[in-house]
Amino acid sequence: MKNIKSKYTLISSLSLVAFVILWIVVTDVLHIFPSYALPSPITALKTFFRKLVQTSPDGSTLIVHVLASLQVTLSGYLIGVLVGVPLGILMGWYKPVDLFVKPLFDLVRPIPPIGWVPIMMLILGIGLRAKAMVIFVSAVIPCIINSYSGIKQTSETHINVAKTFGASNVDILRTVAIPTAMPMIFTGLRVSLGVAWMTLVAAELIAATKGLGYMLQIARTIGRADIIVVGMLVIAAVGALLTGILEFLEKKFVRR
Amino acid sequence: MKDRFMTVFVGSLAIGSFFVFWTYASTTTSAALFFPTPLEVFRYFFDSMHTRIGKYTLPMHTLYSLKRVAVGFGLSSITGVLLGVAMGYSKTINAIIRPLFNIIRPIPGLAWIPMAILWFGIGETTKHFIIFMGGFANVVLNSYDGTSKASPTLIKAAELLGANKSQVFFHIILPSATPYIFAGLQVSLSTSWMAVLAAEMISSYEGAGWIINMGMQTGNTLMILVGMVAIAIVGFLLANLMRIVERRLCIWTVRGT
Repeated sequence: MKNIKSKYTLISSLSLVAFVILWIVVTDVLHIFPSYALPSPITALKTFFRKLVQTSPDGSTLIVHVLASLQVTLSGYLIGVLVGVPLGILMGWYKPVDLFVKPLFDLVRPIPPIGWVPIMMLILGIGLRAKAMVIFVSAVIPCIINSYSGIKQTSETHINVAKTFGASNVDILRTVAIPTAMPMIFTGLRVSLGVAWMTLVAAELIAATKGLGYMLQIARTIGRADIIVVGMLVIAAVGALLTGILEFLEKKFVRR
Repeated sequence: MKDRFMTVFVGSLAIGSFFVFWTYASTTTSAALFFPTPLEVFRYFFDSMHTRIGKYTLPMHTLYSLKRVAVGFGLSSITGVLLGVAMGYSKTINAIIRPLFNIIRPIPGLAWIPMAILWFGIGETTKHFIIFMGGFANVVLNSYDGTSKASPTLIKAAELLGANKSQVFFHIILPSATPYIFAGLQVSLSTSWMAVLAAEMISSYEGAGWIINMGMQTGNTLMILVGMVAIAIVGFLLANLMRIVERRLCIWTVRGT
């Protein structure tokens, strides 16, 4: 059994090594791809370290870009969570709220988050507020959907037991329904974080003066593929890190 | 009966108050300077059915976007399902592809836009590629999950009864993977719709994304709102299209909404 497992690990590592070697061969050795289209991994690595301290060509170091993107994402995301989760819970538990909010929600839901960029930019300008609002819209939707369906999953039997023991409606919501919904709520938090991060990058590509998306956009206009590759990998890494933090919190707080 | 009445009544109350608030805000407050009333949006929406915005009418713009989605989504569905099923079926293929896939997966589809423009210019290929990357990872992951989760008991039972490899694959593994595959396709279709908008906003001369981007650049709120209405309608249709196809194809397991 252990033998088989190590065989697959070996194949995986070989495949990874082969990929990197192939990448180096087609760029640095054979020059099949010119450096403005695809940099070699070595160049990309060098650019990564240089970009940590250098501000050219887009005016900020890599760390400043990351922080700028994180600031926008987290501010929009946190407001989205603070509004979306309670709203979803209320919609799932109180019928009148559901009846009132659901049609408005259905009106907004089919518009992809990116579609909100122009109108927000026009109303709120190019700065932090407009992008945070777009992120808010992108994050609030999965939060509402998941909290709502989490609450709806509460078993009728559990509710009846609680009623029999004389629990009030609010008590049941607090001690039965919300704990039932917790795993779903966390799924919503994770989904919306992914969507928020992706939306932010796109929003920064379209209109920004700072941030990772802006860095990509500038690098694209001057044909610096090495910066683009670095930017994409940093975006991927930060996204994975954010998801990892949420998964850690989920393991800590949700008992399945 | 009373329930149904309440749903319709409260629902129309909500929508009604939303439009009343919008009309009020866009006629009496300072927002009136740049924000049109719902009635104006409604009228412009129907006007643009036959008068042009830029080069085409609104339905033509939408069709351009949909054509791009069809190509990009079609390609990513086919390759994604094939790759995902292959990875789920063979541990060796999984071991080869998995590390490479894990590098690509966390990169949001839209982050490929600058790279795609460098590689393919600003033509149609770029847009197809961006849509492809937008949905690809999800389709692969779901197809993989579905295929690798096929019940070992069923597979063993079929083998015991003398089924060969292709029978096991087509009669057990594939049917049990289909609902997962469709879950992946559904997410991927919504992502594709988002990806085409982003691609069109960054570089294009037609399409729904172009409309809202042009509206932003010229400060034309009416144009943006009409574009958003069209985008919402198509988004709604696409979300339900997949559900209908799924209901037809996987009658044995209908997932909840």
